[in-house]
Amino acid sequence: MNLLVKKIHRFFIPHEDNSYHAQSLHTNMLSTYLFVAVMLVFVSKSVPSLSSVLGVATDISIQKLFILTNEIRTRQGLPQLQENAQLDEAARKKASHMLQKDYWSHFAPDGTSPWDFIKQSGYQYEFAGENLAKNFLFSSNVIDAWMNSTTHKENIIRKEYTQVGYAVVNGVLNGEETTLVVQMFGTPLSPSLSQEQKAQKPKVLGQTQTVPQIQKQQVVVNGKRLAYDINMIFIAFIVLALVLDFSVASKLNILHLRGKHIAHLLFLGFISLGILFILKQGAIL
Amino acid sequence: MNHIVHSVHRELKKHLFDYLLLCTGGVIFLLFLRLFQGYRTYSFMIICLFVGFYVFWGQYHHTKIKQVRLAHIVEYILIGFTVLFLLLLFIQP
Repeated sequence: MNLLVKKIHRFFIPHEDNSYHAQSLHTNMLSTYLFVAVMLVFVSKSVPSLSSVLGVATDISIQKLFILTNEIRTRQGLPQLQENAQLDEAARKKASHMLQKDYWSHFAPDGTSPWDFIKQSGYQYEFAGENLAKNFLFSSNVIDAWMNSTTHKENIIRKEYTQVGYAVVNGVLNGEETTLVVQMFGTPLSPSLSQEQKAQKPKVLGQTQTVPQIQKQQVVVNGKRLAYDINMIFIAFIVLALVLDFSVASKLNILHLRGKHIAHLLFLGFISLGILFILKQGAIL
Repeated sequence: MNHIVHSVHRELKKHLFDYLLLCTGGVIFLLFLRLFQGYRTYSFMIICLFVGFYVFWGQYHHTKIKQVRLAHIVEYILIGFTVLFLLLLFIQP
């Protein structure tokens, strides 16, 4: 136990045993961190089964989107939405169509509308709506972005809707690797409605768009969460080491022997803020 | 705690221009990241530029204070590139 404490002490605290420079900041340790980071990127790119864990894929899951949407509705005193397979199918078709035709809009350049996909999937609706999102990393960011937009929020909390379908698809849109999220709302056509009513064009309520095309639909991928955790743990670790080293060195009045801790801390601070921006980098329509 | 605050204050006062330059670079980095929100390739390029700027800033600063040691420069490169590769896990173009 004593040995472990001694090692930790030597690792973080400048001392004569480590030439008054925390071992965690020695060049050989910094090289090790870089090696580990390079290996993580290399493994995430070269091992297909891990690519969904460490990179490429996002942490957006249909399950999570569904739960978060219903939590919001419950808080508003509205009935929960039921997931509908036909609406899921319509959302998948819409996402695939956007990737194939390379557009980011509720309406395709050829005039195809969101409700065309709903009808193609065999869903007869009285009311329908669509929310889109792209390039978010986490499900919660998608829902937050929608809730911060009046039209998208209206879709989520519209009392007429009873069913919902989702698609999360990865693909290339406008030359960029993109993750598309399509949320399709619907209210099935009541059987009591007359044929004439059925023939009428259905009402399409507010529409929204946000995310990318799905490679692995309905698969919960925690890749971005893991990458985020690795980043934050590394930054916290280095910040701790720098602060401890700086603190002891300033106490011993040997700061002139150090690299520039303040510069490193400023750099890591800006990078941390940058990570927050990246987390919220998605777009909605 | 006081000695830390004192040391930071002394260091910032001594090299105010250099730190202002670094902070300006950081603010521009965040502005561009915000501007190109949603574009992974641009975000990646902006991060690369900021890491490059940070390494060059380190070299410039240590040259200015006549403390150019290989170990210092290597320190900037290692920290900068480690962060760059870890961020690559987020945004692989």
